[in-house]
Amino acid sequence: MSDIILQAKNVSKHFGGVRAVEDVTLGVHAGSIQAIIGPNGAGKSTLFNTLSGFYYPDNGSVRFKGTDVTRTPAYRRITMGLGRTFQTSSVFPNLTVVENLMIGLHSGAKMAFRFGPLPKSQRRVMHDKVERLLNFVNLTASAHRPVAELAHGSQRLCEIAMSLSTDPSLVLLDEPMAGLATAETERVMDVIRKLHNELALTVLFVEHNMRVVLTLASRIMVLDRGRVLAQGTPAEISRNSSVIEAYIGKQVIENV
Amino acid sequence: MNRNRVGGIIVGVLFFLLLLFTPEIARAIHLSISVCSEVLLFTIAAMAVNLLIGYTGVLPFGNAAFWGLGAYGAGLTIKYFHVGFLEALVCGTVAAFIGALLMGPFLLRRRGIYFALLMIAFGQVFYFVAYRFTDITGGEDGMNFARPLLATRIGMKDESFYYAVLVLFVLVGAFFWYLVRSPFGRALLAIKENETRARYLGLNTDRFLFVALLISAALEGLAGAMYGMSIMFAYPLMLDWHQSGDIVLMAILGGAGTVFGPFIGALIFVVGNDLLSNIISWWQIPLGILFVVCVLGFPKGLLGTALDLMRPRKTGFAFEAQTMHGTPLTADPESNP
Repeated sequence: MSDIILQAKNVSKHFGGVRAVEDVTLGVHAGSIQAIIGPNGAGKSTLFNTLSGFYYPDNGSVRFKGTDVTRTPAYRRITMGLGRTFQTSSVFPNLTVVENLMIGLHSGAKMAFRFGPLPKSQRRVMHDKVERLLNFVNLTASAHRPVAELAHGSQRLCEIAMSLSTDPSLVLLDEPMAGLATAETERVMDVIRKLHNELALTVLFVEHNMRVVLTLASRIMVLDRGRVLAQGTPAEISRNSSVIEAYIGKQVIENV
Repeated sequence: MNRNRVGGIIVGVLFFLLLLFTPEIARAIHLSISVCSEVLLFTIAAMAVNLLIGYTGVLPFGNAAFWGLGAYGAGLTIKYFHVGFLEALVCGTVAAFIGALLMGPFLLRRRGIYFALLMIAFGQVFYFVAYRFTDITGGEDGMNFARPLLATRIGMKDESFYYAVLVLFVLVGAFFWYLVRSPFGRALLAIKENETRARYLGLNTDRFLFVALLISAALEGLAGAMYGMSIMFAYPLMLDWHQSGDIVLMAILGGAGTVFGPFIGALIFVVGNDLLSNIISWWQIPLGILFVVCVLGFPKGLLGTALDLMRPRKTGFAFEAQTMHGTPLTADPESNP
């Protein structure tokens, strides 16, 4: 098996008396697409926020590319090669798609802290990168529209492109299909596949849509009430009786 | 070069010419030239505040601390160390910069209304210092000082002082124009729009906010120092939160998030204060109404709204046509294998 790029060891996060994440251990293999599933309130988002540096865990450790990042601020994890999206598309709504992408590109190229215009050669490089990102998520036609004006699915794609703008090797997608229509789901699925196939990125995502999870992920982790209920390949998970009972329901599996 | 850009340059040149001949115009209409200096200096202060409100999204309700520190920084050094004009200007700027350096680490722990309240509190500290240390600052009565010579034996009458202000205004305006268009300025805008996202694009947002605060403080201190030398006086109310509120209002009235909107805000304020208040004692009532109308009806301020009206909407029909005939965004998924 390939290297483990992101590893969480015995991670716990409590909010007051609520044990949102309890003793979770997981490893994400470089180059794979892995999914985290679980019923509402299972702690998926909390786990995600712990992995990406939104929270620091109460116990346990997180390692990214072999470095301990348990208490590393989020922005520094991004510069180390981590990207993420949020459940509700987190963009700069009043800026255009290109401007949205530029923020991350400047940041990724360590040029955000400049008080004057970029040199011409750099501007060309940035321009090419923007074009590539726009093509990648198929948003070229909306390049100069404020993101707030775009359809929900396009906003989600813009957010994925933004998370790519800092040149990550691992992308965390928090419910990428949340609130999307079926047609839009297909477009986002295509993009996630391309992340894996064309860019050779590692993808870890949380998702409720079982069809998406079973099609895309090579490994699935099931959380329930903050704990790991099961881990394995889609085939193993869909055969696991405790998972079926606790979460998925027999009917769904038969339909897939 | 597109039409907008040409229009912008023409307006800019006309604006500059107007400012250049302001002393002549002022003389013709019997307006005190020092009022014109005042407008430009408050414009610089409101621009500085606008960097935080309009471009970074934090509310600097204690900003007058920097205005006052600028004036006191210049005044105290002139009074006690007899420094020259440029030295006094630098001292005022540095005083405000140091003020921000002290406040910054505390302010940056909070956002939103808590940032605003904390900053008011810090501003009031400076106010009380100026108010209490009567021996040095003159306390409540303020402090008179002479306007220093520009260079050996070159003094400055009000009219030449106006030109010094104008030079400063042009420099600050140009600096500001480039600053908000630089990657740094864009990053500030990103923080205003969505700070969490900015952080998740690898930006250490605290650092950007701190630097924005320092720049803003230094610019406002510069203006404050110049203003102190203009009226040859510094007084505690310059540091007070009422003063902060006035400068915030100027920025919002003119157009938070536009480079030269604060000029319109400052113009309305200063002209109202210096001229209308002599004619009608209740001039602040129409100003209050104007402010309410502005905030409710034109949240982008007077200049921001005017610019929106003039700008042909990029996102209008022309664009729709392009999407319709180009690759439609919400393409039928079946057509994309």
